[in-house]
Amino acid sequence: MKFCVCIKQVPDVTAPIQVRDGALVMDAGRVVLNAYDASAVEAALVLTEQHGGEVEVVLVGPERATETIRKALAMGAHRGTHLVVDEGTPLDSHAVSALLARHFEGAGCDVILTGKQAQDTDAGLAGGMLAERLGLPYATNAVGLALEGDTVVVTRQGDTGQEVIALPTPCLVTCSNDMNDPRIPNLRGVMQAKSKPLASERVAEVPAPRVRVLGYEPLPQRAPGVRLDGEPAEQAAEVVRRLAEEARVI
Amino acid sequence: MPTILSYVAVQNGKPTRSSLEALSRAREVARARGADLAAAVLAPDAAAHADELGRYGAATVYAVSDPIFRSHLNTPVLAGLEAVIARAQPEAVVFPSTEGVKDVLGALAVRTAAAVLPDVARFEVAGDGAVEALRPVMAAKFLARVRAEGKPVLVSVRAGSYEASEAPAEARVEAVPFAFDEGSLRQTLREVVSSAAGAVDLSDARVVVAAGRGVKDAEGKRLVEELAGVLGAAIGASRAVVESGMFPATAQIGQTGKVVSPDLYVGVGISGAIQHVAGMANSRVIVAVNQNPDAPIFDVATYGIVGDLYKVLPPLIEAIKQRKGTS
Repeated sequence: MKFCVCIKQVPDVTAPIQVRDGALVMDAGRVVLNAYDASAVEAALVLTEQHGGEVEVVLVGPERATETIRKALAMGAHRGTHLVVDEGTPLDSHAVSALLARHFEGAGCDVILTGKQAQDTDAGLAGGMLAERLGLPYATNAVGLALEGDTVVVTRQGDTGQEVIALPTPCLVTCSNDMNDPRIPNLRGVMQAKSKPLASERVAEVPAPRVRVLGYEPLPQRAPGVRLDGEPAEQAAEVVRRLAEEARVI
Repeated sequence: MPTILSYVAVQNGKPTRSSLEALSRAREVARARGADLAAAVLAPDAAAHADELGRYGAATVYAVSDPIFRSHLNTPVLAGLEAVIARAQPEAVVFPSTEGVKDVLGALAVRTAAAVLPDVARFEVAGDGAVEALRPVMAAKFLARVRAEGKPVLVSVRAGSYEASEAPAEARVEAVPFAFDEGSLRQTLREVVSSAAGAVDLSDARVVVAAGRGVKDAEGKRLVEELAGVLGAAIGASRAVVESGMFPATAQIGQTGKVVSPDLYVGVGISGAIQHVAGMANSRVIVAVNQNPDAPIFDVATYGIVGDLYKVLPPLIEAIKQRKGTS
């Protein structure tokens, strides 16, 4: 079975970030493999270890994002494809899914996996968009993934419970980070990754994004809170009094 | 006259609170633009919800009725929404940002050639019909101001971003013909594994008690449940205690779990990692109980109690019982 995993390089959201004149200012060097995509890579590796097959990772991004493909190869993916765009090219889910769809036409993937969203934008659209463009059945927000012959069995987290859905191949699944703990590449993996096949294709034409980012602003600050001191019984009495009389929520 | 369409998610036979919030906001937007407000319902008996949606101002209710909508499955939901959009020709479609909606939004945008703004905290329709919105990004540390043009624009709204408010109108029901060929599904729903049946859905709850790593054992869990009981609260959890198996995955609050915005949130033994805060910072009143005075949860707490939850919760439960008993 051939697994194709779409991955993204994202800014490290735990790094210091500021807004200056409506733009995000952060250390351009602090970039990581999107955590949800790392779970998708891990899921594909586990299934190929159990059932055989191959894992290809595909990334849309500027030159420097190659290091993120190497990271996935170091985890154990077999080959990578880098769809290269110029640094700073505006991309939204619409544009990225169109580029990926073009790549996957005729690529022979049995299961396309991706993270359920990217850590930086939290949009969560590209997976569903890609499935629709390719006419594939799909499931999102998977917390469990198994193979039964040619059937992919997805456990997804829904609104009121976990939905167990069977999909035929080819299909697409977006993965939650609650699915697994992605392996940390070891030294051997890192060394092997250097000689794994990595195809690089320059994107000739990037589709125009449908969504424009006009700017960034800080979150509105919450009013400062109050600390309640004293013995537990005093703290309890005081918070209940304030919840009833001040906040009027009980 | 242009139409603003609002999708109403039905759970346990009722429109969700987040759907009524989105519908109420859609009504304000429609009024400001001189547009008609319509609602779309996909349910086993969709027309049955028309009266309630009329109370929130829907002039037309597009009802797509089929037993398949008893459980969520993306193929029929997509087909139903596509049919309603084709008929209503809306300028904008407003969704509550539920897991069911997240499951279909991207595919629906491609299918209807729509631009889409997911999971927004605020939105408005500009004079030219474009939609402008504020959406949390970077683990909800910042807001991005975004703009999308086209017809339609799809926008999904985070729970708790707007108040649900009534403004009664006479709702006209338009039944949308819907025939679904099960053979075309290409997906089978085997089962839905639910946590406690009939329990309050976390993202719809007015009061939430959330447990974190400080809750270490069965005794701690019992205290959390008792506190939730006296407050009439839904129980939430941080990722740590979901992973340890103490609480079900449906209880997880945060960037990867549910977004809650109740009137009252009580965090018990929760440190307040940014991924968790991203899912609860919009709560109206936040109470935090934590042993560590430097826990980041205290940065967003309205009332902070530095203390051992095993010592604080028993008198807290008693004090709430007394207050509720006397009021």
